[in-house]
Amino acid sequence: MRLKLKIWRQAGPGTAGRLVDYAADHVSPDMSFLEMLDVVNEGLVKQGHDAIAFDSDCREGICGMCGLVVNGIPHGPDRGTTVCQLHMRRFRDGDTIVIEPWRARAFPVVKDLVVDRSALDRIITAGGYVSVNCGGAPDGNAIPIAKEVSETAMDSAACIGCGACVAACKNASAHLFMSAKISHLSLLPQGQIERYRRVVAMIEQADAEGFGSCSNEGECEAVCPKEIPISNIARMTREYFRALWVGGR
Amino acid sequence: MSSRFGVFSSSVGTKILIGVTGVALFLYLVIHIAGNLIVFLGPAAFNRYAFVMEYGNPLLPVIEIGLLLIFLLHVYKAVTMFLANQQARPVAYVKKKYAGKPSRKSFASSTMIFSGLWLLFFIIIHVKAFRFSPEYPWPAGGRDLYRQEMENFVSPLTAGFYVLSMVVVGSHLWHGIASAFQSMGADHPKWTPRLLTTGKVIAVLMAGGFIVIALWAHFVGART
Amino acid sequence: MSPTKLDSNVPAGPIAEKWDRHRFEMKLVNPANKRKYTIIVVGTGLAGASAAASLGELGYNVLNFCIQDSPRRAHSIAAQGGINAAKNYQNDGDSVYRLFYDTVKGGDYRSREANVYRLAQLSVNIIDQCVAQGVPFARDYGGLLDNRSFGGAQVSRTFYARGQTGQQLLLGAYQSLMRQVHKGTVRLFARREMLDLVLVEGRARGIVCRNLVTGEIERYAAHAVILATGGYGTVYYLSTNAVNSNVTASWRAAKRGALFANPCFTQIHPTCIPVTGDHQSKLTLMSESLRNDGRVWVPKKKGDTRPPDQIPEDERDYYLERKYPSFGNLVPRDVASRNAKQMADEGRGVGETGLAVYLDFQDAIQRLGIDVIREKYGNLFHMYKKIADEDAYKVPMRIYPAIHYTMGGLWVDYNLMTNVPGLHVLGEANFSDHGANRLGASALMQGLADGYFVIPYTIGHYLAGSTMLKVTSEHDAFKESANCVQKNINRLLSVKGNRGIREIHRELGRIMWDNVGMSRTEQSLRTALAQIPKLRGEFWQSVSVPGTDDNLNQSLEYAGRVADYLEFAELLTLDALHRRESCGGHFREESQTADGEALRDDEHYSYVAAWEFTGVGREPVLHKEPLVFEEVHPTQRSYK
Repeated sequence: MRLKLKIWRQAGPGTAGRLVDYAADHVSPDMSFLEMLDVVNEGLVKQGHDAIAFDSDCREGICGMCGLVVNGIPHGPDRGTTVCQLHMRRFRDGDTIVIEPWRARAFPVVKDLVVDRSALDRIITAGGYVSVNCGGAPDGNAIPIAKEVSETAMDSAACIGCGACVAACKNASAHLFMSAKISHLSLLPQGQIERYRRVVAMIEQADAEGFGSCSNEGECEAVCPKEIPISNIARMTREYFRALWVGGR
Repeated sequence: MSSRFGVFSSSVGTKILIGVTGVALFLYLVIHIAGNLIVFLGPAAFNRYAFVMEYGNPLLPVIEIGLLLIFLLHVYKAVTMFLANQQARPVAYVKKKYAGKPSRKSFASSTMIFSGLWLLFFIIIHVKAFRFSPEYPWPAGGRDLYRQEMENFVSPLTAGFYVLSMVVVGSHLWHGIASAFQSMGADHPKWTPRLLTTGKVIAVLMAGGFIVIALWAHFVGART
Repeated sequence: MSPTKLDSNVPAGPIAEKWDRHRFEMKLVNPANKRKYTIIVVGTGLAGASAAASLGELGYNVLNFCIQDSPRRAHSIAAQGGINAAKNYQNDGDSVYRLFYDTVKGGDYRSREANVYRLAQLSVNIIDQCVAQGVPFARDYGGLLDNRSFGGAQVSRTFYARGQTGQQLLLGAYQSLMRQVHKGTVRLFARREMLDLVLVEGRARGIVCRNLVTGEIERYAAHAVILATGGYGTVYYLSTNAVNSNVTASWRAAKRGALFANPCFTQIHPTCIPVTGDHQSKLTLMSESLRNDGRVWVPKKKGDTRPPDQIPEDERDYYLERKYPSFGNLVPRDVASRNAKQMADEGRGVGETGLAVYLDFQDAIQRLGIDVIREKYGNLFHMYKKIADEDAYKVPMRIYPAIHYTMGGLWVDYNLMTNVPGLHVLGEANFSDHGANRLGASALMQGLADGYFVIPYTIGHYLAGSTMLKVTSEHDAFKESANCVQKNINRLLSVKGNRGIREIHRELGRIMWDNVGMSRTEQSLRTALAQIPKLRGEFWQSVSVPGTDDNLNQSLEYAGRVADYLEFAELLTLDALHRRESCGGHFREESQTADGEALRDDEHYSYVAAWEFTGVGREPVLHKEPLVFEEVHPTQRSYK
């Protein structure tokens, strides 16, 4: 396959970026999207040109490091798929593909398609954990947890922290990301002690980072590689309300 | 930690407020259309209804002020949230597309702020026309609201403006009804899908209802 | 130095009491003094994150580094299957001793008994700790923890969280880590790559790393350094490892004097999705559980290119069932992998490249029904469809082995400390607990045991027992090291050749896979030993590393890693050459039984081979740690 690529190039956080045209002439349908970029980069490197910077690591859809907006959709056109698992057979010979980085005030561009997502880490740092020191834990079976509860918590815990939800949202909101963690921990008995403090602290941190609010469109859910539903956001709202008006005081 | 009222300034608290005020405004709209439909029963019934609403109700000023406050809060929160959200993405995408199901994004959801501002403009005109304009007395008591309404709709321009605005109402509700519940944290695996559909049906019925009244008034009521 | 016998510092006493006794005998750091000690932890995988969090909880001043943008991305996250623990919740006869026994046996008697026993003991605490953190392990309808069975064990002791156990355990550790970041005990340095270990008076006192965003060479001083930087599987270019996984941190430590142990012990996973072409950047593993219901076969005829459904039953060779009637398709990883390679070598491989064998579910679908298969393996079939674009419900899967895990690593004693005082190594980066072969669901167990429950004690023992100079990053040793690092970077940038870095890495991978892969011979190893230095020479002659060193330059990062692999590969091959026996993941064709099974040579090779670096291209010095088996007596494995 031959493809025309329009790729966002930006030297650094302070500089302006632009789309640059590249031709990918030997694309195999079996390549993953990132392997296609590897091949383009290999060509650039051999000619001594700067490679296109993009993040990736596990390349099997679980580490959450990769993330590109492909033709206007974060992680590309396939449901429940990270861009590292998107394959070129999804495209047609002669297609033009526009590739952009995640765009959000809270995710400044580091270079080209690489952005700084440390804001998500800071949201977790604000309270996305259970405060147990190593050493004092009771037996794992001391607290039985209903299978359904555990499964629902697992659905939320599956979040890979890639930030596609932010990238897709017209408000660049991190509500799906943080609601997934809040849901995971508030559903389980282990998370009860800090339940209210956690939700308030995480929401405050997300707001301080400059993420937007939620308009209930659910674009986030549609692009989420783990298909985490926006029912988590509703749960977060309930938790928050409860924290400030019912149980948290 | 936030104060108890800090809830209203955070992104989530803002959502809750917009949701709650939205539902209140929606409920008002339900009462409003129910009352308006009485117009089809003729001047006597309609003016009687207006009389009971306006004079038989000592709480009217309180309700009016309450409604106004709810309305203003809804507008204020929505506008400030919109402005803040604009800040959250300073560099726009060159290309951005609808992500596909199960996204609930629609033309209506993408234009909430514009449909909302249109309605703000519409409501000012609408309230001016029906609440702060010269009135005709009605012999059985109160005013002849029926005549006032029919005269209002004589002009094709006004009728057209109303019809258009009601389409905008429908659009706002198309996303707004279900969205308000989600904003308040109401979600259920079985009921949410139904709510999503019901919300759209109600939006169409509501807009349709108002439009029928406006068209009827223009083509039929005003000429008899 | 000249060859020595290494002392593993295993405490005396009966095996079941060693760790308890040792914990009592170890020196302690007074709680008020802990914050006066700075500890560097490199890596944020299961071992690194759990160590950094636990040390932070104890009150140490911890500096934690990772190459990714967030500590949550470390490759532990990709582990699918589960984590073993001797809880005996299933009442099926499991015990600490049985887990210990299975692990020593599974490791083909090349691991240190005392370490393995401790690992089995601690496995129990790991589950408790993770549950307390909120890890959503699978549960049964009564609300208690569920288990499944895994290869190499006859009991159900594997705890799991769907097919994402590694992810959930890592996120648990990550959250504990972020809690310490919040408290200020841990400072996090993301997008940093460790490029040198700094020694002062022979002790590990800090690291030099490159800030991958600004390009700055940064120096950090500490009282002890912990490496938890993972394995070296990507020396084979294609592996199931993440594309950023590398040997650089370990190798640079080795160049500063840490011994590298058993590098030839590499594990190959039999059920990966085959390579499709040169563009391939990594291989994807599918859970081994597939072999419970799938039947492995190839055509009987060489070069049979008919589609699988047109090959009649009597022209198929179900070679695992034929050769191993009692274990059949469930033979251990190494046996399954070697046989697949043998089929490909015989020209009976399938698919376009001929580098694959069929894993067929038709019988299981007919026997159990498609719904049962879908319920059991639906997610794997889905993944296969996504990558290979074939429906495994209708046509057999194509699978092929791939490098998956490396048992070798930096040599450590019972306290997880290397021969360099103060340098500790945890997780896959050390060599310790898996011997020559790792059992499924044991990697997660080891990483967390090291980080949560071993290093917090042993590092205190080291710190309390050492008198150290006051050292800052302005010390000459730091300046010298930073200079070396900068020189190396300048050298990479100045070659300005015309060969791609990836191209050279791919070539190295091919040399390693063909000659030092699943099956090794004296001749193949010598071939590799001739080719690697040549390729290394070419690299330094003709590699193209574009860009500059003052910003994010992924080509530069990659080139540095490949340069290290070009040195390390030689050591790996040399180790494989010197070990003239077959054991676990290391199969020497010269050393096999009459029916082609791995044949150990306990008389000559029952030791850990720890190599001392003496210079690039120069013969390393071999130090031996003899392995003594007091509890589990070595026997020949048989899966017939």
